[in-house]
Amino acid sequence: MENQGPALEVLLHRIAETPDDFLALPKIGNTGEVSVPAVVHDLCERLGAPVKAEALASFAGTDPKKDRNRLSIALLLAWVLADDWFAGIHPTTTQVLDLLGPTSVQLAQHAASTKYLNDPDRREEVARLVLAHFGYRPAGESKAQAQDRLTSLSLVERERVLRAAREAEARARTIREALAKKAAEESADKWTRE
Amino acid sequence: MSDPDISDRDRYPTLSAHGQSMLRFLQEHPHAPIYRNQSGNRLTLEEVNRARAFEKRVRSARVGWEPQTEPEWLRAFVEECFATVPFYRNHRLDPTRVSVQELPTTSRADLSHDIAAFVPDTVPTARLINFRTSGTTGHPLLLASHPFVAASYLAFHKRALDRFGIELRHGRGQVGVVLVGYQQKCFTYVSVTPTMDESGLAKINLHPADWRDPEDRAKYLDALNPEVYTGDPLSFSQLAQLPLKRRPRALLSTSMTLLPGLKTELEQRFACPVLDLYSMNEAGPIAVANDAAGGHVALQDRLFIEILDPSGARLPPGQRGEITLTGGFNFCLPLLRYRTGDYASLGFHRGEPVLLGLEGRPPVMFRTDAGIWINNIEVTHALKPYSISQYTLHQQADGSLQLRWVRHGAATDAVRRALETLFGAGQAITIHEVVRFEGKIVQYTSDLPFQP
Repeated sequence: MENQGPALEVLLHRIAETPDDFLALPKIGNTGEVSVPAVVHDLCERLGAPVKAEALASFAGTDPKKDRNRLSIALLLAWVLADDWFAGIHPTTTQVLDLLGPTSVQLAQHAASTKYLNDPDRREEVARLVLAHFGYRPAGESKAQAQDRLTSLSLVERERVLRAAREAEARARTIREALAKKAAEESADKWTRE
Repeated sequence: MSDPDISDRDRYPTLSAHGQSMLRFLQEHPHAPIYRNQSGNRLTLEEVNRARAFEKRVRSARVGWEPQTEPEWLRAFVEECFATVPFYRNHRLDPTRVSVQELPTTSRADLSHDIAAFVPDTVPTARLINFRTSGTTGHPLLLASHPFVAASYLAFHKRALDRFGIELRHGRGQVGVVLVGYQQKCFTYVSVTPTMDESGLAKINLHPADWRDPEDRAKYLDALNPEVYTGDPLSFSQLAQLPLKRRPRALLSTSMTLLPGLKTELEQRFACPVLDLYSMNEAGPIAVANDAAGGHVALQDRLFIEILDPSGARLPPGQRGEITLTGGFNFCLPLLRYRTGDYASLGFHRGEPVLLGLEGRPPVMFRTDAGIWINNIEVTHALKPYSISQYTLHQQADGSLQLRWVRHGAATDAVRRALETLFGAGQAITIHEVVRFEGKIVQYTSDLPFQP
C-alpha cells in the first residue's frame, strides 16, 4: 500500500453498480451462463497482461456446488478490475490471476458472492483488498489508516497478516539454523580477518 | 575438529591435483604448525568465474560521489532494502518519500539482537556461513555471509595494493598469503585460492603453543615464502622478531590502529609496503591508509559513507563524527545507515572519499595537568612516532594516567616524555608493559567526568 489510488467511493460505487452480465451464474459444466475463463481472458487483454489458455483452466470449474461461489466472486473482481484506472497501473498477469484465483477462493470461504455485493462492509472489504493487492490504498488515507481499516474489515487480510508473520518467523528460524550449522561455523577463506 | 558431515569436496569444490599437492605441502611440511581447524574457499566453478569478474570490476571502478551529494545507485539500493529485508521493512516507511538522511540508523545492537532480520528474503539459506566478532561494546556479533562474499575481499585487497603499485603474481605451486595471528587460541587452517590458480593460503598462529618447536616458525614461513602476509599490529610485531630470510611483497594490517612508528619499522624490517586497512566484519575492507591522500581512501564503489553527529544528522565534509555505512558487497547483510562506532571526518582527494583522522570507538576526553580537556586523537598523534604494537590509556578519577602497552621497539622514556609534553610536566603517569592483551581492547578510557 505504498501508493495512493482512486477514492474509495469510486470503487464502492462501481461494485454496487455491477452489471447483470457479471452477476449471472458462472458456467460450470452444463450449468450457468457466463464463461469465466473468457471473461478473465478479455480482462487480461484490456489490462495489457497477456495470458495463456492453460492459465485459465482453473476458472472453468468442475463442480457447481464447490466452485460457483468462488467463480462468482472472480466475476465480481473482474468487473472491478475492468475500471480504466487499473489499466493505467499496468498490472502483471500474475498479479491479476492471483487476485481472481487464490483471493477469490479465500473470500469464498467467508461469505457468499451476493454478500460482497450487497453488504456495505463487504463491499468496502473488496474495494480495499483489490487496491492493496496492487500496492495501493484509497486516496486521502495514510498507509497506517488504510492498513488498520483493511485489517479490521477483512478476515482474508487478517489471515494474510498471520500467514505472513508465520512465514517470516519460519524464514528467520531457517536462517538461524543455517548459521548455527558446523559448516557455517567453519566459514570460508578471507585474505584478512577482522 | 573435523566434522564427518563436511568433506574436502565441500571445502574446495574445484580442487585440482595441483591444489591438493599445495594443501599437502602446507599441512605436511616438517616445520608446519599444529593446524587446529579446517576451512576452505567453498567456491563453485561458477563462483570462481564470477569472483574473477567481480575483481576486474572492483579494481577499475570509480569510487566516490561529489561532496555533499549521494551516489547514483543509493536510491535503488535503499528501495531494495525496504522491499526485501525484514528489519528495514519493519520501519514501515515509504523509501520513495523520505530522503536517505531521514532514514533511521542501524546499530551494532540491532545486528546483535537478531541477525536473521537482516538477511534479504531473496537469499537462499543453504550456503550461509557466519563470521563472529567479540567486539568491545558488549554486543558480540554473529554475521551472515557467503563463500562468495568471503572470496570478494581479495578484490578490495588488490585495489588497495594497486595504489602502491603492487600487482599480485603468485599462482600455481606458490603460496599467495599467510594470515598471521598471535593469540592464545586461534582458528588455524590451510586452503587454496582458486581465483589465483590455487595458490596456497595458510592461517597460522605465531603463539609458541601452536608449534612443535618455536624455531619452526621462521623455517616454515621461509619455506612458504608467501607473497603477502596479513595480520594485525600485534601479530606483525611478533613476525618482525622472527629470523625470516624471505621477504613478502606487502603486509596488510587490519583490526587495530597501526601507529606510524610501527608501520615504518615494519616497512624497514620487511622492505615492503605495509598497508593499513580499515576493515570490519560487517562491511569488509572499507578503506586503506594513503599518506598522499592524508587518510584512509575508500575502496568500495557500492558503499556510501556518511559522517553523523550523535543525533544522527549528517555532517558536512571536514567535520568529525561517527562513520556510517550504506551499501556493501555482502548480499546477506545489506547495510542501511550502519553506525560503525568508529570516528573520522570525510574529505575528498582527487575525487575519492577519504576518512581523515580515523579512530575506533567514540572520542574520550582526557584532562591535562593544566585542567584543559583534550580529545584522545591528540594522544594518538603524540604516540604516532613510536613503535608500539598495542596500548591502552586510562585516566583515573584523581587525574593520573595509566599506559599499558605491548612495547615492541619503543623506548619507555621517550613515550613518557611524549605524554608529558601533551599533558604537562607535572602529570602523574605510570607505564606498565604487558606481554599481550587478551581479546579486544578498549584503547581509551577515563574515570573523570568530562566538564567542558
